Amino acid sequence: MTGATHFELPDYHEQSPPVRERFAQLDARPVVMRVDHLGKTFLGAQGEVQALGDIEFDVRRGEFISVIGPSGCGKSTLIRILAGLDYPTEGAVMLDGEPVIGPGADRGMVFQGYTLFPWLTVEKNVMFGLKMKGVKRREAREQARHWLEVVGLSGFAGHYPKQLSGGMKQRVAIARALANQPRILLMDEPFGALDAQTRAHMQAHLLKIWRDLDVTILFITHDLDEAVYLSDRIVAMGTGPGHVQEMIEVPVERPRSPEQFLSGPFLATKKRLEELIHPRTEEMRALEA
Amino acid sequence: MSRQKNTAGARLFAVRQDVSPRARAVLTALAFALPLLMWSAVSYTPFIWHPYVLVEDPGDTTVAGKYDYVREGQRVELAEFEGRNRELAAAGKQLATGERANPIYLPAPHEVARAFVTAFGTEPQRRGDQWLHESLWHSCQIIFWGFIYSAMLGVPIGVLCGSLSFFSRLVEPFVDFVRYMPAPVFGALAVAILGLKDEPKITIIFIGTFFQMVLVVSNTTRQLDGALIEAAQTLGAKNRQLLARVVVPGILPNLYRDMRILIGWAWTYLVVAELIGEKSGISAFIYQQQRYRNFENVYAAIAMIGLIGLFTDQILAFIGRFLFPWENERPRFFYRIQRLFGGAREGGSDTQAQAQARVAVKAEASR
Ligand SMILES: Nc1ncnc2c1ncn2[C@@H]1O[C@H](COP(=O)(O)OP(=O)(O)O)[C@@H](O)[C@H]1O
Ligand SMILES: [Mg+2]
Repeated sequence: MTGATHFELPDYHEQSPPVRERFAQLDARPVVMRVDHLGKTFLGAQGEVQALGDIEFDVRRGEFISVIGPSGCGKSTLIRILAGLDYPTEGAVMLDGEPVIGPGADRGMVFQGYTLFPWLTVEKNVMFGLKMKGVKRREAREQARHWLEVVGLSGFAGHYPKQLSGGMKQRVAIARALANQPRILLMDEPFGALDAQTRAHMQAHLLKIWRDLDVTILFITHDLDEAVYLSDRIVAMGTGPGHVQEMIEVPVERPRSPEQFLSGPFLATKKRLEELIHPRTEEMRALEA
Repeated sequence: MSRQKNTAGARLFAVRQDVSPRARAVLTALAFALPLLMWSAVSYTPFIWHPYVLVEDPGDTTVAGKYDYVREGQRVELAEFEGRNRELAAAGKQLATGERANPIYLPAPHEVARAFVTAFGTEPQRRGDQWLHESLWHSCQIIFWGFIYSAMLGVPIGVLCGSLSFFSRLVEPFVDFVRYMPAPVFGALAVAILGLKDEPKITIIFIGTFFQMVLVVSNTTRQLDGALIEAAQTLGAKNRQLLARVVVPGILPNLYRDMRILIGWAWTYLVVAELIGEKSGISAFIYQQQRYRNFENVYAAIAMIGLIGLFTDQILAFIGRFLFPWENERPRFFYRIQRLFGGAREGGSDTQAQAQARVAVKAEASR
């Protein structure tokens, strides 16, 4: 890289003892989801489009894993296949050793767009999955109250989605997905449409929920800071077709806090991601010269 | 000052901007006042149109001539009246007098207004005929049943077509084919099969609305955001649950709006339906009055149909505001009523959380 770096960044492979211990613990845990040589080719109007190449990685129980990549590299396609909303043309997705064949309550999903049911109140939205399972109304309501408390929206049980701000809507969506107690929570750029301040707040909130509940989260983003701040491991994807460039173990200690944004391990990881996701092209170099 | 005037005027004609509430009220009033004003102008200003003369006194009827058929009470063309007076003047006799008048098929507003009231009190001309209010009620029933049967079948089929490709492919091509046939062509058939009473009439209304309804409802169903269905799937909803818990509630407000439009559609088939078989209802009344040349009654009856339609639609619109609280803010008086009945804690003072929500939503909206 040209230009002066005024201080030395550590190697992002370097892990402090607590971090190393964390990964040792994770490796000992069972695999919740195995993405097994996944490929996807769309049959469009202009012939075949290969969106995903040979994707392979494991998600371990209780881990926070992020998938990051440039726009159009197939992140949404990937997570839709994991959720069972679309099917792979090669390979398979295994959940607890069983192949995924369609959408189901064992994988919760939070979408980028707001997908709360507008005709249901906040509380009824959260109760939706439980009702589908046949949980009695009273029991479902009690559980919904609990999950709303978890996301800090107890006062809004009777509101309609239309009355909520964007951040609140996503928190309800998280509560709605969590209420089913899924094996894994899939999130496709859930904070992408939020402003910076709300977004930071949501990130902190999500980390707290993840820590308190010990859920497994697969999180899609194109924001480098977000990925480093939240994750244990980061799947860095590349385009043409979507493939895994590198699986990065984030060397930042937990619990995380915003002060770490300027720490050595954080910046080192971010720099590596920068190289992978936003590589400098010849044209950019020419412009910089 | 003048700048302000400009902006107010500009707002009246700004594309895609609603006018002020006051302007809205004025424009609504004008919507009815302007046609009425035009009608009054034509009716009450003798020099506007009035191509006839209503003869009051035919003058000396013994004078022979080309126009000697002019008699008292006749409505003759202006040229005939002037011709007669030339004949009378040439003979040196008493001239005819009369007032300028419009054709009999254009009664003045006050005549129609009077007919509007007296038509209800006029005894049926023939024994066994219906009073006007009975006719109207009969018409409403025909519409109601035709529409209800159509909705009972059309809505479920439309929803199925909109959600399941299987039904769409199976049903829609034929529906598309039939819907181009004007419902009245089935009139003779309906009478032959179902007799002369109400059944064929209800059938015509049914045919007129059902096929359109299937297509309209299936289209509305297709417009439901697919992301909601996917979200429900990831929450564990399966086929039938998806239909009952997501598709149907999701399209309900639009479905209701469709039904309001389709009721109007049903009314357009009313006259055809009522004139087949045994003539009945308001159409029979109009038909009869037109034969007796009581045109003010004809206009009154037509206006009644319009009023009933407008009234039903307004009532349905009003009810709609309560049915879908997630779509529109409830009307303000709803909260007042709620407070009256002791809902004060919920509707009245805000909890802190609710106040927060309002601030957050406002902040979002102002972005
Ligand atoms: N239904 C589809 N049919 C055809 N091509 C698609 C479809 N969905 C996505 N693609 C293509 O797959 C690629 C990846 O898209 P997507 O997964 O949305 O990327 P990302 O979420 O990373 O921005 C894009 O090139 C897109 O055009
Ligand atoms: Mg995407």
